[in-house]
Parts: sequence; C-alpha cells; structure tokens
Amino acid sequence: MRKNLSALVLAAGLMLAATGTAVFAQFQSGSYGSKKENSIDQTAPAQMSSDGNFAVANFPSFAPELAEGEGRAETESFCAMCHSTRYITMQPPLPAATWEAEVNKMTKTFGAPIPDATAKKIVAYLQAHYTAENRKQ
Amino acid sequence: MEQRLQSVSRRDALKLLGAAGGGLAIAKWFGADTAVAQDLQTIKTMEPFTGPGPNPHWNSIGPYISEPEKAPLILLTDRPVQLETPRSYFRTPFTPNDAFYVRWHLPEIPNRVDLAEWKLKIEGNVNKPMALSLSELMEKFKPVSLAAVNQCSGNSRSRFQPRVPGGQWGNGAMGNAMWTGVRLRELLDTAGVKAGSVEVQFQGLETGPGPKGLGSNVFLKSLKLTDSVLDEAVVAYLMNGEPLPMLNGFPVRLVVPGYFATYWMKCLTWIRVLSAPDDNFWMKTGYRVPDKPRGNTTPEEVKAGGIKTVPITRMPVRSFLVSPDGHSKVPAGMNVTLRGIAFSGYGRIVKVETSEDGSKTWREAELGEDLGAYSFRTWEAKWTTKTPGNYTVEVRATDEKGNVQPDEGVWNPGGYLWNRIEKQDIVVGKAS
Repeated sequence: MRKNLSALVLAAGLMLAATGTAVFAQFQSGSYGSKKENSIDQTAPAQMSSDGNFAVANFPSFAPELAEGEGRAETESFCAMCHSTRYITMQPPLPAATWEAEVNKMTKTFGAPIPDATAKKIVAYLQAHYTAENRKQ
Repeated sequence: MEQRLQSVSRRDALKLLGAAGGGLAIAKWFGADTAVAQDLQTIKTMEPFTGPGPNPHWNSIGPYISEPEKAPLILLTDRPVQLETPRSYFRTPFTPNDAFYVRWHLPEIPNRVDLAEWKLKIEGNVNKPMALSLSELMEKFKPVSLAAVNQCSGNSRSRFQPRVPGGQWGNGAMGNAMWTGVRLRELLDTAGVKAGSVEVQFQGLETGPGPKGLGSNVFLKSLKLTDSVLDEAVVAYLMNGEPLPMLNGFPVRLVVPGYFATYWMKCLTWIRVLSAPDDNFWMKTGYRVPDKPRGNTTPEEVKAGGIKTVPITRMPVRSFLVSPDGHSKVPAGMNVTLRGIAFSGYGRIVKVETSEDGSKTWREAELGEDLGAYSFRTWEAKWTTKTPGNYTVEVRATDEKGNVQPDEGVWNPGGYLWNRIEKQDIVVGKAS
C-alpha cells in the first residue's frame, strides 16, 4: 500500500513537472514573467579610420512625458531650448516658491530668452504639477 | 508595474492527483497549509520620483540607458548628459571607464575631437604661450600616474532634507581611476607664470547657447596660484590605462586630487593664467558653500541672508557598504562578508568601522591595499548574521587627519558636501 502511494505521488510530481510549474513546499520553479520594456539594446561597434578624428555616436535623447495641463507646450518648448525636460521630472516635489526661483534663475542668471508672460505660464504649470501637494508622475 | 505570476495551487494539485487517500503523503510533499513555501516576488520598477522625504535608495531612481562608450548607467538627464554609476561597480578599488559616472553642465559637448587640429593652450599672463598637441603632451613631458577619486560636489544630493533642486544623485556620482598624464606645474613652469598672476583658469570644450559672459555660455573653473593642490594636479590623457571616454573628457582632463570634480575640467583645452580673480558665474555664484563647519546651514539662515560663502574645495571623508546591498535576504547563521570602499579628500583612510547594533558598538574592518592618499580604499568585515530579523549595517571611516564621518546630515542650498554615515537595512531569514 505504502509503495503504491509513493508511486502515485511520484507520478503526480512528474505530471506537474510536465505542466512547467512544479509546486512543492520546499521550492517553486519555472514561473517566468515578461518584461520586455526593461531591456536595453546593445550598441553596435562604430566604424573607424586611422585619421585624427575621434568621434562617438550621437548622445541619445529621452524626453519624458510631462504632466498634462495648461502651460505644458510652453514648458516643453522653452525649457528644452537649453536642456532636457528631464531636469523637471528628475527633481523631487519642490515648493511653489522654489519653482518660481528656478525659472527666474533661467531667465535672469542664465539669460534664457523667455517672454515674461510665458515665464509666468511656465511657473504656474510647474507649480500646478510638480509640488508635494500635486505631483503625480 | 506588476507582473502576475501563475502557479498551480495545492487544490489544483489535489484535483490533478484525484486521490483523496493519499492525503498524508501529499501533506508531506506540499506542506501542511500552504501551496508554496513563499509567494514569488513580482517585478516592480522604481517609483517615478522620490520626495519630499529623502531618496531611500542607494542610487538615484532613473532608468538604465546606453550612451556611447558606456555600459548601461542610470539616467539623470540626457541633455546635457548626467549618468550615475550603479552600486555594484564599487566592489573594486578602480571604477571601470565604461561605468564611470558622467556630469556635464551645458548642452554643447563634443561628440568628436580631431587630434590633427586640437591643441592644449597655455595662455594669459605667461612669458611663453604654448599650444601643445596630444603627441607633444605625451612625448615632451614626463608622464606621472596617480590614483584619485573624482566625486561630484552634489553626490548624494537626494538625501538632503528639505530637498534642494539640482541633480538628484544617489551615491553613484563618484569613481576612482588611475590617472596618467603631465603635471600641471610642469606645464605652468614651461610657459612661465608672470609676476602679478593670481589664479589659473581652466576651460574645456563644453559650451551652451546662453549669452556671452553668462554661466550658460561657457563652463570655467579657476584655482588660486597659491593653492598647493596645483603641485599635485595632473593633466591626464590616460584613465585606468585607456584613453578617456568622450563623456569623461577625451582627450585630456584635469585631475585635482582630493578636490571635488567641479575643478576636474573635461576636454581641457585652455589653461589661462589670470592677473585678477575669476568672477565668472561658476566661481562667483556656482559651487559655493557656507563658510561654516561642514558647509552646514539651514533654510532659515539662508532666508535671513548674509551667509558668507567660499568656493567648494576638498571632499570630506566618506565610506560605503557595497555588498550585501539589501536586495536579497541573508540566511541566519551565515558568515557573510561586508565589502565596501572609503576615501577622503584630506588624506589616507586609516580606519573603517561597522556597526550592526544601531551605533552602540563599532568593529574595525580590514582595509584593502593602500593605493594612495586620494584613492578609494577597499575594506571588508565578516558578519555572522545571528537570528532572523531586520538589521541595519552602518559604516564609518576615519582619515589620517582624524576626520570621522558624523551621523548627522548636512544642509546647504547647493546640495553639496554630504558625508553622513551610510546605513543599509538587511533582512536575515531563517536557515532551518
């Protein structure tokens, strides 16, 4: 009787293994997920000649998706004149006054040619989507 | 984002077996109450941002991306390029070139340098201005090598409370390399610094679209001619025995041992001796710290105004636990090896200690090879994990000047000079 039972359990184990998912108290194996978006393509070797030119490929761009709302288009076009809008999404949620100071720094200290009315709109946009009270993405 | 993983439940298994009589044996095989010993973990990606609290992770949270000549690194920004080195690359004293972090200030950075045209110029208040090709630098001057840590002034900025704007680095805006090149002093002596000179200015190939005269147009850094660091500075054309990656400053970069990376000009092309102090944005406004112990102040003091600031210079003592990194459980009773690195801009690391009991007791770790005063120094310590539970491993270093890492953070508006004791939570699981 005991022998028969062992044989039965062994058979069941083989059947489970055949389904690709073995379940035991001791371990679990054979479960796979699909996460294609986590992959990074390898870069192909560059073409080179023996002259004095030392060149690398273009540096890639990764524009983030900014929060939807009034002022997004102005923010995307004016801020991106000098830098990626990742400078916005990289920040932690910042107080409204800090966002205003940041935009002022860009226009006054760094000379960004942003019309006053547009700068105000950009400040309002950042304050509406990137503070501790309202940031979602 | 989550990925649900399928498994066959115990009930399904029983059904499959179709044998109620085998209950006892089945219980033995499948466990008394649960279908599986432990639920499988789902794959989760990092949160899109951290804050307003401190970033709880060792590194920053951006995606891995692939840039020319680089291994996949953590993206902070793509234009200008800012990339962080993942924690696991700090297991070795030298950081591989392809994993070395990247930080530029302005968007126009070189993809191409023609060495048939490129010259390093030594100009300004000198007797004999020079323009040297890379060949001339390599052949006409004595090569010297030294190991030195390059760390961004804002490394670990994401730990600040309250948070400050700027590159939200975790701990990976640092790296150590063996730099080979020409002594800056030899170049200055050959050109002949004229009497009445006060500073030497460095300019690379990094520019921006901003108006001339503003910080958004060109990145410039200067050091005082009386600063003894000039005797140790090297114009490096080799990094770990290889040419520098374009993103790390090909063809030559300035190495300023012990100083924060802001002075380590990439793609160094102009060395300019000045007869008046440099008042450009990157000296007068940027990269300045409160003239107070540890460069520490408060938002209230800043609001009140009148804080005297000075240009940032040397790196305070720091140490890091690299592994185990808390991403896996450790079985109770196992003798694991804690491994990490330490360095200081003020000189050699003489002691690294770890604590596993909330700073009550500290044990001295074994130090790795001494590769020079300004290099990473590896350390390791055995740790027997004892009983299951949640542990925190702390690490602190002491340098030859007696500087010890404190358990208090620092705060200043630039987000500079962080060197608080590092702490790593580690979960110890049952081994039987």
